[in-house]
Amino acid sequence: MTFPRLLLVGAAAMLGPLGVITLVQAQSGGHPADAKRGAVIVAQGTAAGAPPCAQCHAFNGVSDASGAFPRLAGQSAYYLAKQLRDFALGERASAIMSPIAKALSPDDVADVAAYFATVNAPFLPLKAADAALVKRGEQLAKVGSAEHRIQNCDNCHGPDGAGEPPAIPYLAGQYAHYIAFTLQMWQQGFRKNSLNTMGVIAKKLDDQEIAAVAAYYQQVQSTLETVESQGKD
Amino acid sequence: MAQRLPAVDAVTIGVGLTGALAAFEMVQAGLKVVGLERGAPRETVPNFQSPAIHDELRFSIRKAMMQDNVKVAVTFRNNSDQTALPIRRWESFLPGQGLGGSFVHWNGQSFRAQVADFVLRTHLIRRYGQKFLDACGPELTIQDWGVTYDELEPHYDRFEYLCGVSGKAGNIKGQIQPGGNPLEAPRSREYPNPPMKEPYFGAIFRKGAESLGYHPYPQPSSNLSRPYTNPLGVKLEQCVFCGFCERYACEHYAKASPQTILLPVLLKNPNYELRTSCEVLRINLDSTGKKATGVTYVDGAGREFEQPAEIVFITAFPLNNVRTLLLSGIGKPYDPRTGEGVVGRNYSYQTTAGPTVFMDESININPFMSSGAPGTMIDDFSGDNFDHANLGFIGGQYVGSIMTGARPIEFHPTPPGTPPWGLEWKRAVARHYNHTILIQQHGTSMSSRLNYLDLDPTYKDAWGQPLLRMTFDFPENDIRMSQYIADKVVEIGRAMGGKIVVRGGTKRPYTTTVYQSTHNCGGAVMGDDPKTSAVNRYMQCWDVPNVFSLGGSAFPQNITYNYTITIGALTYWALDAIKTKYLKSPGPLVQA
Repeated sequence: MTFPRLLLVGAAAMLGPLGVITLVQAQSGGHPADAKRGAVIVAQGTAAGAPPCAQCHAFNGVSDASGAFPRLAGQSAYYLAKQLRDFALGERASAIMSPIAKALSPDDVADVAAYFATVNAPFLPLKAADAALVKRGEQLAKVGSAEHRIQNCDNCHGPDGAGEPPAIPYLAGQYAHYIAFTLQMWQQGFRKNSLNTMGVIAKKLDDQEIAAVAAYYQQVQSTLETVESQGKD
Repeated sequence: MAQRLPAVDAVTIGVGLTGALAAFEMVQAGLKVVGLERGAPRETVPNFQSPAIHDELRFSIRKAMMQDNVKVAVTFRNNSDQTALPIRRWESFLPGQGLGGSFVHWNGQSFRAQVADFVLRTHLIRRYGQKFLDACGPELTIQDWGVTYDELEPHYDRFEYLCGVSGKAGNIKGQIQPGGNPLEAPRSREYPNPPMKEPYFGAIFRKGAESLGYHPYPQPSSNLSRPYTNPLGVKLEQCVFCGFCERYACEHYAKASPQTILLPVLLKNPNYELRTSCEVLRINLDSTGKKATGVTYVDGAGREFEQPAEIVFITAFPLNNVRTLLLSGIGKPYDPRTGEGVVGRNYSYQTTAGPTVFMDESININPFMSSGAPGTMIDDFSGDNFDHANLGFIGGQYVGSIMTGARPIEFHPTPPGTPPWGLEWKRAVARHYNHTILIQQHGTSMSSRLNYLDLDPTYKDAWGQPLLRMTFDFPENDIRMSQYIADKVVEIGRAMGGKIVVRGGTKRPYTTTVYQSTHNCGGAVMGDDPKTSAVNRYMQCWDVPNVFSLGGSAFPQNITYNYTITIGALTYWALDAIKTKYLKSPGPLVQA
């Protein structure tokens, strides 16, 4: 959503019929997100000391095949901006991201998030995971586990992990290493920005289940590509 | 010829809220219990998972979770002069079917009744006099319950903690609590969980109601505001406001239901056996007609079985409790001509319908972010919370903004004058969808000698047994009540800033083609007098003391509120008496 820059200042004065500030006005902030400016920050960093995002996440937001850094391309701007704010606040603990997020101004955050949200980037070719592990992951993702009372992931993360923007990130094509790592962060309480939902669920997953869902979601997109390329052959 | 099975201590006819509670308490007491459920087994995983569970066409429109009325319908008419016809499409009320019963697809709206509700007749005569009551309608047959609020309070408390109800107490042992409902009955302690977050529509309602001097409070909810481990050790999660609660099951372990509060423990107990797809045909009586010997049922393959049992709990949907009693010949059927007989007597319902408040386009409600019990309420017009002396009616309604999801097929608010189809209709829906607030009026339904349940003389079910026949229309008293409150609520809608406020209020005749409420109650009511009640104060059949008819069928008339929590409390109350008294010395718990 784009709103005039002045709206943030105006919001307090813009009262509804009952003196209620309408939620959209109050929540949207005053900055019209500028994806072009975001792209510059991603490529060059900021004068205030934030390094270029591209150093780890690549200019197109696909990061690298190590999976140490999450894929950001096409992730919702709302979600990305919230994560940056939470890194700065410590709701998500990260020795790498917290200082970077603190160095970004609110406008920087909005612009960088807007940029990555609009990037339509390819998926890197990755080594195929163990088929049985992927199958187990698919079961958890689509059905859940009656035994451990775990609901399926797609309830909230959308069909095949496509995401439920704006609030809920996509998992399809996300790196297995990152998914597993962030689930462990939830488990151990280093990530607290949706504690009562993801924190609770992550604690119910064992290591094997984490590896399985991570392996499954990583290959959701690449599976589609493989099918297509096989069709051409 | 029915195959006779080995005897057990107790059997429940239906495995929903009351059936699961009864079985749990009885196996705890060491009894061997069989649960007979006519529907299918189902669990949070895999049955309630998305995307399938968010299929609005399947669940909201085609009522996939409801009683299979191809096999067993209910016939309906407004009065005794009409011929009843089977309801082949559930609309007005939605009896559930399947493991967990209606306690799976409920909304989680979790109120207690008021102190006066349980002694309604005594209370009203004391406050207004017999003459006043007669003037409200000579046909009214309201009565006391035989149990008091104080007796039920510990059981309310226990059931709320089992469910993990999220709310804010307004009255703890007589001390008014800021932020809660100051008009509620006194409770012994705070709710187990804090209230749900208030959606924007609730915040607007709160402002409007407050500006008129009313007392808004957060609706108590069995969709949980935080992760919770109940006293049985079962873990529930926090509601994510997905907007698919009523008519759906919770995918997220966040709504209290047998599957999320009881069954994980009950099903592990070796003294419990669950049998699904089992349709109970009747309760069998011995030659004296004073003792039940068990039940006869048909399984999914069509085989007939006799299950002997020492205690029979009728734990079906209230309408089906009454039908089971009638089909089994337990208790004298009600005769509307003489007013004699008790089974089928005092069937009552719920008065609903409230205004629609159309707001300015600048106000974004986002009603799709919601749960089944997200409301902000007032109790200023509930029950007898206001002086009725000059009003010419009894009873009342709570008023609140409760929007439970605004799903796309069901929610198309358009102001009066909008064409019912076509381009202009589409434009109006697009204009108003996100800028409209619904207010609910929800309240009492008084019992009347004209309203009752009996067996239909014509229509039969898939097993050749008569369907239940419902004869019902709202008493004029209830219409006057609803219309009086409708005027008050229009004022609230205007105070909320509504550009257009479309007035609510119930009218006659009652119709089964529009959803109103699934709080069908009465028909096997509790009380102190066997002439006017089918069951005693412990919901034990007067005539056959080893049969207990648990649930909403025991309400002598309906209260202001959604009845689930009161059913839970009543059930715990009865089971407590069974555990502490009946099991030691089986027989009538109250002498007739």
